[in-house]
Amino acid sequence: MKRLLGLFFLSLLVSGCATTGDVTAFKDANDTSKIQEGEGRLWHEASGYDTTIERSGQIYEDRRATAYLQGVMDRLYPEFKGKIHVHLYDSTQLNAFALPNGSIYFNIGLLARIGSEAQLAAVLGHEAAHFVEKHSFRQRVSAKNASAFAVSGIPFASLAAVSSISGFSRDLEREADMKGYARLVKAGYDPHEAHKAFEQLAKEVKALGIQEPYFFSSHPQLVERIDTFKELAARQKSGGRVGAEEYNAVVQPIRLEALRKDLGQDRYKSVILVMEDANLRRYYPAAGYYYLGEAYIRRDEKNDSQKALQAFQTAEKLAPNYAPTYKGLGMHYMKAGNKVRAREYFSKYLTLASKDAGDRAYVQQYISSLK
Amino acid sequence: MMTKTFALPLLLALVGGCAQAPYWTLTDNDNRVLKSTSFEMTVPAGWTRTTTADTWEQVKVDDKPQTLLLEQVTASRDGVSLHAITVTRRYPDTAFPTLKKKTNASMQPLEVADLYVSELRKRYGLERLRVLSNKPSQINGKQGFELTMEFKNDDGLRIRIVSNGFVDKTGFYTINYRAPVLYYYDRDYADYAKLVRSFRQSKGAFDPPPEIPGWAKLFT
Repeated sequence: MKRLLGLFFLSLLVSGCATTGDVTAFKDANDTSKIQEGEGRLWHEASGYDTTIERSGQIYEDRRATAYLQGVMDRLYPEFKGKIHVHLYDSTQLNAFALPNGSIYFNIGLLARIGSEAQLAAVLGHEAAHFVEKHSFRQRVSAKNASAFAVSGIPFASLAAVSSISGFSRDLEREADMKGYARLVKAGYDPHEAHKAFEQLAKEVKALGIQEPYFFSSHPQLVERIDTFKELAARQKSGGRVGAEEYNAVVQPIRLEALRKDLGQDRYKSVILVMEDANLRRYYPAAGYYYLGEAYIRRDEKNDSQKALQAFQTAEKLAPNYAPTYKGLGMHYMKAGNKVRAREYFSKYLTLASKDAGDRAYVQQYISSLK
Repeated sequence: MMTKTFALPLLLALVGGCAQAPYWTLTDNDNRVLKSTSFEMTVPAGWTRTTTADTWEQVKVDDKPQTLLLEQVTASRDGVSLHAITVTRRYPDTAFPTLKKKTNASMQPLEVADLYVSELRKRYGLERLRVLSNKPSQINGKQGFELTMEFKNDDGLRIRIVSNGFVDKTGFYTINYRAPVLYYYDRDYADYAKLVRSFRQSKGAFDPPPEIPGWAKLFT
């Protein structure tokens, strides 16, 4: 109760700051055309950053998923429809960020980890609140930040200093939590889902020892956020939209892709953490067991070869048409000296894999060498 | 305090003076064989090349800079920032420094290629490196891989990298060609392929690894 009262007063104080002086929050989409003095430069920088992201291929192309996320955002902030643009960001790091011009970037790694539309809405509601409340501009007008970014020579460093790329001050983050939460409830989502997204993140951040300065990896803040959402939800009736089925139907293919990318960037610990956790694993396609097997091989600790075999066998049983599993099994038996089984699995791989599979030539070579 | 302030620039000036900076030479018909301790190859005529090999590189491992031994020569026709062929030998214990993985002679080329792609993706600007093809190849009679990869720089320019590599008991060898897809890549690919075919290991590859120069360690 004390915490809630404290948060209430803090929220009043923070929102008081927002309306005093020159910086006032946007009211609706029309209001965003009335940019305040000095704010234009920030928007210009943000547009430049948008362009760089798009040009350099950092957007994850999935029209269905992008439209779905945009739909959730428009449900949360209907009066800002057409002004807040959600993009999928091609990174497996657990993050999402907002730019001062209303661009919201949602990493596919974070998308893969959360389990329902209501949890997604909790994150989107928070990020959009940074834009609506002009947190970037407010952070910039403070003299302290102005001098901090003035000396930096890193491209877009000044923008990073005043956007949620690197996180806002604790007070502004709290305000975004409160505003985002209010939007979540108003849009009819189940408030008891909100903390779940952050709980999973906190668990992963702790297990992997993530130290990157990303908003979602700031552990004490994350714990505080979970407690706050739990306390707020306790005051609300249960019920409301969860949207787990819809969410998982859209995100399922991205989850497998996120595992593949994690492994490709040697984040095998992350793959093992996800696929060994029964709670998380249930969201992932069965073919994910193939990546678990490959992750064990990368880790290469005692008994990992056996664990890899078991994971490949599970993948074979649950997703019998997923070609890479048979390559994994073939490699295992080739190394174990079992030529017959190795040949058998490699042949099955060639039958199931697409004609242009990048490693087809290697597998053909292996089969020849095993005769 | 004052003594330290003066001593540091003096030391850096001395060290800088002693450092053997690689220098460039233009190849002509009499000057095309590039010899290094571990390997030699024929550089296409009209290209510039380094005359001595770099012997160390600085790599960030877990965000901490480390100085690692290697052997690396470079050739370019229009300037290294535009396009370049880089031939590198890494020692078995530090073949994949950011992955903290070693090589051994029994590794399959496909395994080595997968590790190499992961290693490159850990380097700045290459996080979204895409593999276009990955196939077996032979380099100097050894089983290896040929990877073709691509990424976009911040200006949206597509840069392609083709890499031929192999592992033996002396380490991990790669011959890379990097160029913009626009105009340059196709223009010079044939020169690269010729250089790969001319690659030969030297007896020096079997010598014990040299020491990292003391001054190079100052940077870590």
